[in-house]
Amino acid sequence: MRFTEHPILDFERVRGREVTIYFEGKPIKAYEGETIATALHAAGIRIFQHSTKKHRPRGLFCAIGKCSSCLMKVNGIPNVRTCITLVEEGMQIERQDEKPVLPKTSKPPKWKEPPRIEADVVVIGGGPAGMMAAINASDAGAKVVLLDENPMLGGQLVKQTHKFFGKREQFAGVRGIKIAEILSEELKKRDIEVFLETSAIMLLQDGDEKLVVGVRKNKELVEFKGKTVVVATGAMERMIPFENNDLPGVYGAGAIQTLMNTYGVKPGDRVLIVGAGNVGLILAYQLYQAGVKVEAIVEAMPKIGGYFVHAAKVRRLGIPILTRHTILRAEGKEKVERAVVAQLDENWNVVPGSEKVFEVDVIALAVGLRPSIELLHQIGCQIKYVPELGGHVVIRDSRMETTIKGIFVAGDSAEIEEATTAMLEGKIAGISAALAAGVASPGWLKEVEKTQRELEEFRSGPFGRKVLEGLKKVVVE
Amino acid sequence: MKSKADVVVIGGGSTGTSIAYHLAKLGADVVLVEKGYLGNGSTFRCATGIRQQFTDEANIKLMKYNIERWKKLSEELGYDINFKQTGYLFLATTEEEVEAFKQNIKLHNKFGAPTRLITPEEAKEIVPLLNADEFLAGQWNPTDGKANPFKTVFAFARKAKELGAEIYEYTEVTDIIVENNEVKGVKTNRGTIKTDVVVNAANAWAPIINEMAGLDREFIPIKPYKHQLVKTEPIKEGQIEPLVCPPAWNDSYVIQDGEDGGILCGTGLEYGPTYDMTPTYDFLREVLKWATRIIPALKYVHVLRQWAGFYAKTPDSNPAIGKINYIDGFYIAAGFSGHGFMMAPGVGEAIAELIVKGKTHVPLDWEWYDPHRFERGELRSTAFQIG
Repeated sequence: MRFTEHPILDFERVRGREVTIYFEGKPIKAYEGETIATALHAAGIRIFQHSTKKHRPRGLFCAIGKCSSCLMKVNGIPNVRTCITLVEEGMQIERQDEKPVLPKTSKPPKWKEPPRIEADVVVIGGGPAGMMAAINASDAGAKVVLLDENPMLGGQLVKQTHKFFGKREQFAGVRGIKIAEILSEELKKRDIEVFLETSAIMLLQDGDEKLVVGVRKNKELVEFKGKTVVVATGAMERMIPFENNDLPGVYGAGAIQTLMNTYGVKPGDRVLIVGAGNVGLILAYQLYQAGVKVEAIVEAMPKIGGYFVHAAKVRRLGIPILTRHTILRAEGKEKVERAVVAQLDENWNVVPGSEKVFEVDVIALAVGLRPSIELLHQIGCQIKYVPELGGHVVIRDSRMETTIKGIFVAGDSAEIEEATTAMLEGKIAGISAALAAGVASPGWLKEVEKTQRELEEFRSGPFGRKVLEGLKKVVVE
Repeated sequence: MKSKADVVVIGGGSTGTSIAYHLAKLGADVVLVEKGYLGNGSTFRCATGIRQQFTDEANIKLMKYNIERWKKLSEELGYDINFKQTGYLFLATTEEEVEAFKQNIKLHNKFGAPTRLITPEEAKEIVPLLNADEFLAGQWNPTDGKANPFKTVFAFARKAKELGAEIYEYTEVTDIIVENNEVKGVKTNRGTIKTDVVVNAANAWAPIINEMAGLDREFIPIKPYKHQLVKTEPIKEGQIEPLVCPPAWNDSYVIQDGEDGGILCGTGLEYGPTYDMTPTYDFLREVLKWATRIIPALKYVHVLRQWAGFYAKTPDSNPAIGKINYIDGFYIAAGFSGHGFMMAPGVGEAIAELIVKGKTHVPLDWEWYDPHRFERGELRSTAFQIG
């Protein structure tokens, strides 16, 4: 089901011309600008594939192209990430129930030289960190190109309907969706070439420069040659172990926000949220806003992790927050039909007899994120496991340069934090990348230092403590 | 760590673990040392193929024996190493190649390998996704095959340990103690092991070990050449089971991984000598160009991974296997030039028997693989190499 009304959002801006796509041969109404997974979801289709070994049903999980739960056969091509592939008129979409069988009578592809885009700074990722990096690198005098595998700019900002904190110049009081629009506009004002639906599949040293190998729209090779590279590839939703955690209807919190806030599709009717950090709390409020019932939030820790203001808002709505509770299992035949939760004692053991059953069709996991460091790992940046920062992260200096000269990192791919810090890091990385490329005047160093101070200030509160502890382990000079 | 042993094997790839297993089976007190983790050198990076289709008597005979060993290896080691006889299919694009195939087949048949010439239509039946139109004929041996390198090394090591061998990973050899031209021990970063017998199974790194024993690095001139593979996402089994290779297309080949169904794609783009293992973009482009010409439907699948490993090459691409005459108790089995995994069972057995019994029943031509041939300037005909 699609929303037509929403207190904050206007979905007509993403919904283009009406088109017809076909799921297992049956026509389905969709709108240009929507992803395949969104359109299927709007039509009530939850099961996208069955796992190849145990034939377990699988559906959407991350909705940003990072897991492989939504792979389907599209126009005969297997394993298409339907969550980031836009619908096209007449598209044939099929469920995958086994490993692909390929056509016997294909012709070899015609090979042509891939386009080579040359720039001073190549930015991978068009979220808050990547966009700020691109804008600031450009202002510092660099020729910049930006690529992102999603069909729209903004990263996770495009689903954040809440207003930001901080200072005015850090977009305090502005909703995430609006910040995405502002930054997109700023990109457009500058001569920054943007490649959407373009996945970076390889990051290489190429003589003194860097080569980013991209694949556009799942088929066309594009080469990006740059003097320096900023990797701002964001993060990936964490999964926690519980019985049936792969059932369709178990979603990453971000996936629900994508469905609901970006595309205006109702994620389900009744939701259980796992995790009472800021994401879980904000999600509860957003679901309420969209008219979806939230049965409860369970949190394994003895205390709510998120900001007090968010928790208070959720409590006012009458949504119970059960601390010291965890999810035991999801139940349902082919998709989630209920969730079983239980209380935990001080030693994290389940208290016998404390099981509660919630009749829900959606289980939202808001249990944290881990940095997407694949490209940084592949090119050989030094990596360290730092739990405070969300897991494996790269070693870097205070200008966000990694152990490989000319490779910079910013935002959640550097450490799990928030959009405001991602933007500040993006600015630092962007200017530093322009400086390292030899195109920015040394005067820009002052701007880097100023931004470093802002970042320090933002992190000085109690919620910055953990990140600061973690950063001590990875920031080297 | 043990301070003494009958034999110390240096190198924990398929060759080293096979040697350790066979020595332990013969009752020797054996220690294997590996500077990284087992298999990390070249074995875990290989394309999994096992073939008899060489172009000389020694390699054909050794590999024919090996096929018999591979067939029984899972049972013998008590662990399924997933050996499958899915065949090797070479494809000809010119009449000259067809003639050469006919000569090869004669040679294979002479030594008992059941290779035969097939038509493109037959080839298409064996490999349903093949772009058969581009080929004139195939050189097909259905008894060749593939196995899982990870499981094979694990199974050799596990069985060796069961039989009393000690295996030390992350243990790097720093020196070989040689006194009066006799092996006396092996120094490692974790201590010294006294021994009278050392086997150098370090393959790409073998010259470094030779040097530690006081030999010249160039005495057995093994050089590391970087080769690469890409692997696609899994496809349903049975679509590209054999190793398929048109040698004229830059030695390019594809083979379906017997474990998960992904397609391994290789090509003859080689770098080196180098110890660098960084994957290259040039390789990715080159290999995909050929792979999608051999199997056009591969254009529909994603590449999941690309990695590099070494062909530890000798000047004639044949390995150096045997005793080093200058130092009592020093043996070598290295320089496999891309063929180490497929030869491992027979080579391990032969070296173990040579050490313990002074001779072997394995049909391994010691003369052909003689480690001293290089210093005599005697090269063999080049072993048939692909990829």
